[in-house]
Amino acid sequence: MHDVLLKITDLHVSYGKKAILRGASFDVRNGECLTLLGANGSGKSTSMNAICGFVKPVSGSISLNGTELAGKGPHTIFKQGVAQVSQARDLFPDLSVEDNLRLGAMQRGKGKAAQVLADIYDRFPRLAERRRQATRTLSGGEQQMVAIGRALMSSPLILLLDEPSGGLSPQFCEEIATIMDQLKSEGVTMLMVEQNLNLAFRAADRFIVLRDGQVVDGGDVAAMAGDHDAIVRNIYL
Amino acid sequence: MFLQLTLSGVSQGAIYALIALSLTVVYRSTTIVSFGHGDFVMAGAFLTYVLVVAIGIAFLPASLIAIVAMFLLGVAFSRGLIGPIRGGPHVGLALMSISFGFTLRGIARTVWGREVLPMPRVFDIDPIFIGSVVITGDALFIISIVAVLLVVFFTVLHFTDIGKMVQAVYQSERGARLIGIDVERFHNFSWGLGAALGAVAGVLIAPISLLHPDLGASFLIKGFAAMTLGGFGSLAGAVLGGLLLGVAEQYSGAYIDTTLIDITAYLLIIAVLLIRPRGLFGRKVVVKV
Repeated sequence: MHDVLLKITDLHVSYGKKAILRGASFDVRNGECLTLLGANGSGKSTSMNAICGFVKPVSGSISLNGTELAGKGPHTIFKQGVAQVSQARDLFPDLSVEDNLRLGAMQRGKGKAAQVLADIYDRFPRLAERRRQATRTLSGGEQQMVAIGRALMSSPLILLLDEPSGGLSPQFCEEIATIMDQLKSEGVTMLMVEQNLNLAFRAADRFIVLRDGQVVDGGDVAAMAGDHDAIVRNIYL
Repeated sequence: MFLQLTLSGVSQGAIYALIALSLTVVYRSTTIVSFGHGDFVMAGAFLTYVLVVAIGIAFLPASLIAIVAMFLLGVAFSRGLIGPIRGGPHVGLALMSISFGFTLRGIARTVWGREVLPMPRVFDIDPIFIGSVVITGDALFIISIVAVLLVVFFTVLHFTDIGKMVQAVYQSERGARLIGIDVERFHNFSWGLGAALGAVAGVLIAPISLLHPDLGASFLIKGFAAMTLGGFGSLAGAVLGGLLLGVAEQYSGAYIDTTLIDITAYLLIIAVLLIRPRGLFGRKVVVKV
């Protein structure tokens, strides 16, 4: 197995004539959590969307375990093992919690869906209690649990999390942080965009800083312990 | 008389329900209002006519061939004409649908002119008498076929994995892409299914009415009226709206004036939009300003 699971090389992405990513390169190693940092418009979410196939890169490479993903559709990329928890969650509001979760395994991981579903209910007991409820009736934090659970149902090779704590109360942020700790301890490879730097640094092994669509900084979170201010300055100044 | 009218209304309304359902299937999955849909209904009816009258195939296999052919035509329309402009302005998509519909109509006119064609009678079912109510063979056939189709449709939609995936796409296309569904292929399938359901309506209409190239236009309005009454975008609402429209036409024609039959659909659209714009099952749309 490759040490590097996902390799982004010289990625260029534009929306119309506006270039968002201008030659970004970085990689995600097996079993680690990498967090993308950067100011608004730096290209964090665009990176996530390009990896998942929601936007087609102008040029560059996105390689998962040696398989090229750039230019492929989201359904093909998902089947290769890339699952995203999007910022808007994009759940199916009128379907029950259980249907939302089961749907996550219908195109990938169907064979072990029952076992994974049981694991997810163990991980999120609150979802087990609400399994018959329509997801639109859940709180924001519970919906985020469904979104994470749905992505995990496909037993992905890499889990992409776009602002997992976005819009949640401090209590739910703590729950999300705990969930991410568990996922890390289980060896789930994660790529995360997170504005909440406390959560970002708590969960991540490494970070990279994007500015104007390029990687301008990066390193081990542990090595930067106590000097988060330097990273913040690099992001915003 | 009341029961007889209700029965006739349900029989006619079953066809409207099918057309409204086929329009809703396309609308829910693609958000396109298929203004050319009436011509899919017409094409289904004419194709059956050609297969039965010109080629001599029995009605049932001819119907199945016509329905499958219309499914394929719907898929081809989606892939060839909607696909390249998907993502563009909605008005362009609607215009493409209208243009394709008129093209189908034009082809029918080229072949048959403005002739009115009688389809040979195919249902040989004796009427059933229940007291003073007569259930004709036509009504029995139409209601039975539509009932079976609806039961199958809603059972698949609500109780199978495929149905859950369909609902998923209806509720969040981006969410559906996030779980690996090929949404473009789903759109193509939906156009095919919409065209096929429209063709079923055409097949049911063919033996009980005279065929002409413009017949789709009136059925399109009935479909829109049924959708409006049931709640635009609601699948169950489309079916109920169709049945209620059929019954309303019969009542208004019998109890008020027969000329009202032809304009009941228009009056219904006006009334619903004024009194309850979201229809019976539509969701209330809240616009933040």
